[in-house]
Amino acid sequence: MGLLPALLVLALVTLGPALYLIITSLTPLTPVNPDTAFDFSDPLGNYQSILTTDEFWRSVWVQIELSAVTVVTQLAAGLGLALLLDRPSRFLEALRTGFLVPMVLPPIVVAIIWKILYTPDISPLHHLLAWLGLPIHSLITNPSTAIWAIAAADTWEWFPFTMLMLLAALQMVPKEPQEAARIDGANAVQLFWHVRLPYIRPTLVVCVLFRLIDSIKAFPLIYVLTDGGPGGATQVTNYYAFEQTFSFSYWGYGSAVATLMVAGVFVLSIMVNRLGGEAIDE
Amino acid sequence: MSRRLPFGEGVAVLILAVVLSPALWLLQMSFRHNADIMSTRLTFALTLENYTALWTGQFTASFVNSLLASSMSTAFSLLLGVPAAYALARWRFRGERHIALWILATRMAPPIAFTIPFFLAFTWAGLMDTVTGLAMIYVTFNLALVVWSMRGFFAAVPRSLEEAAWIDGCGVWNAFLRIVLPLAAPGLAATGILCFILSWNDFFYALILTRTRAMTAPVAIVNFMQYAGWEWGKIAAAGVLVMLPVLVFTCFVRSYLVSGLMAGGVKE
Repeated sequence: MGLLPALLVLALVTLGPALYLIITSLTPLTPVNPDTAFDFSDPLGNYQSILTTDEFWRSVWVQIELSAVTVVTQLAAGLGLALLLDRPSRFLEALRTGFLVPMVLPPIVVAIIWKILYTPDISPLHHLLAWLGLPIHSLITNPSTAIWAIAAADTWEWFPFTMLMLLAALQMVPKEPQEAARIDGANAVQLFWHVRLPYIRPTLVVCVLFRLIDSIKAFPLIYVLTDGGPGGATQVTNYYAFEQTFSFSYWGYGSAVATLMVAGVFVLSIMVNRLGGEAIDE
Repeated sequence: MSRRLPFGEGVAVLILAVVLSPALWLLQMSFRHNADIMSTRLTFALTLENYTALWTGQFTASFVNSLLASSMSTAFSLLLGVPAAYALARWRFRGERHIALWILATRMAPPIAFTIPFFLAFTWAGLMDTVTGLAMIYVTFNLALVVWSMRGFFAAVPRSLEEAAWIDGCGVWNAFLRIVLPLAAPGLAATGILCFILSWNDFFYALILTRTRAMTAPVAIVNFMQYAGWEWGKIAAAGVLVMLPVLVFTCFVRSYLVSGLMAGGVKE
């Protein structure tokens, strides 16, 4: 059968590593000392120390902040543009492709683009603000603004995703109720709120979940712009796990953090799976 | 009658200009001499020196590595995933919903979770810093994407055509190759391109699983930043080269982009 080889390979490359990850998370593995790979004397030790480590909880908080802000801004920008572009016009259809550019660019290129914008010496943004008489200091080296700088770049990169999905949803809204509401004298806001919004609500929910999950994986932007700093201000959980594992060689501990992340993402995925099905069934 | 743009169109054009300006800034930087990279004047002497510097340096090798890893992984994922997708589209299986969830979870899982086990396994198997190893790890997300999106394309091909072929004595896989696959060719191309783009765009896996020999273009760019003393001209030129193939390919797959990115999330 055609299905079997693919499922076997898929299992090998996904379930295999997942199992291996969980096993590693039960050991104090560090590459410095190979014996630690099979040391199961304190299987839950990593998890215990995670839960009592302030740095971990701080990274969770930074993650929540970043995810909340970017999901909201991406949804707002995506919805606004989708409403603006959702009209039968050849011209607007051509423009749509242009709006997709940030999303399809390689993430590392997005990171470079924003590194340039945030580096005062060469940034057109900083030059422009100075010219307007509003000079600002570097946003990414200041602990209180760094997270917002990352959020802005992330919003730029991913609003096309919500825009694209919401455009597709808006185009599925049947015409009759909209016509009826218009004849009854509904203005644009009422029309959106009472007629179109109920139709696109399931897509909105799926959008939120997709962006939420992807925001947990944000890496190149943070790596290039702030390296988790300054002073841990932009160290999200993913970055924390990366540093613990690959900078400090705490493989077991890093695996445990990664396992917790997978568990969280899995729960969110089940929600997508349910709600995504509903979005179509309705 | 005046042919001015209506208000909505005007606003849209303006917003698009603002949205694209950061990327365009990178493009113009790549054509500047290193001496006036700091200047923001929009008139400057064009030069290709950044590109020629890349061409003669190590960057070419990284670019080739990126091409190899992405195409190998795409080819392998298509080879395995396409028959599986066909089987899923044509025959009922128990636990189909679980396969969907599995595929979705693969798409959603944070790369760090795969990186740690693969790093250990690759070190043991001698696959560290090899293009083959990288292509293998890209299969983790590509195979799931192929199975999911091709299933949708195959489901759209009318059954009656293959059934006619079966009656004429054509075997199942023979009919698949001669009749179904050609009909799903546009979908196949789109899926392949999406796989290529996803692998090409990867930074995280390549950063951790390669060192020098198999270094990909995105990692090479970051090395320009960290070790080569901020050569902005070269960084910008390398960025342009890395985004070029993606922009070209995107034009072909625009309409499939959403379903591809949401693999497993929404029923086709």
